[in-house]
Amino acid sequence: MILSDLLGSPVLTADGERLGAVVDARLVLDGPPDGMLAAARVYGLVVSPHSHSSFAGYERTGVDAPALIARFLRWRARGSMLVLWADLASFTDDVVRLRPGATLYSPRLSGDSA
Amino acid sequence: MTDHRDLPMPPPVAGRVLDADLDLLDRQILDPDGVPVSTVDDLELTDPDDLEHLDPDTPPVVSALLTGPILATRIFGGRMPDSRFIRIPWKVVADPGIVVTVGVAADSLDASWAERWMSEHVIGRIPGGRHDPE
Repeated sequence: MILSDLLGSPVLTADGERLGAVVDARLVLDGPPDGMLAAARVYGLVVSPHSHSSFAGYERTGVDAPALIARFLRWRARGSMLVLWADLASFTDDVVRLRPGATLYSPRLSGDSA
Repeated sequence: MTDHRDLPMPPPVAGRVLDADLDLLDRQILDPDGVPVSTVDDLELTDPDDLEHLDPDTPPVVSALLTGPILATRIFGGRMPDSRFIRIPWKVVADPGIVVTVGVAADSLDASWAERWMSEHVIGRIPGGRHDPE
């Protein structure tokens, strides 16, 4: 599987409600050593309800300049969320389905102020 | 629609966090001497055993950075065959920062074959092309 297979895929809840599209995959380097770094596992998917892509990650970081561009890109990515891998039920026919009771998290990267 | 500021922060993790598109894709790849290798065009992930019933305890792991002639698919859409990608194994990645540094020489990677071919067959045939400028 390559990352592009996931990016842009629609994400549905267990009830079939559309949450949005996958715009990014969050990786965590906390696996066993794999060469020079730890193995990078998929921690979750960043889902955007209004766009099929994210530009420069303004909605995930504390960067707010240039102000006009930041406001526009944050508006475009409004309502974005992070779903953890453990809450994914299936990935078939280019559609990601969540488990019942899946928790939605803020996509904000910790360490960045709001 | 719920604003992300209303959502809880995800559980903390011990390791470094990277957003694949934000922190890896389209980054330049350099070898330890600063020689450009290529750019990160995609990531290869390990295949889950069963896509219809994903195992919550065995998430995919990045196995390689992928690079290749993806310009056409980026403009016109579609998906390039896996065989057209050149793999740079994750185990040689040393530092995924502003640029992605690998821990092996560029010449040892398949990703730099075009550069080597141009150097040997084109640049090297130009008078003075086989030595540093004096």
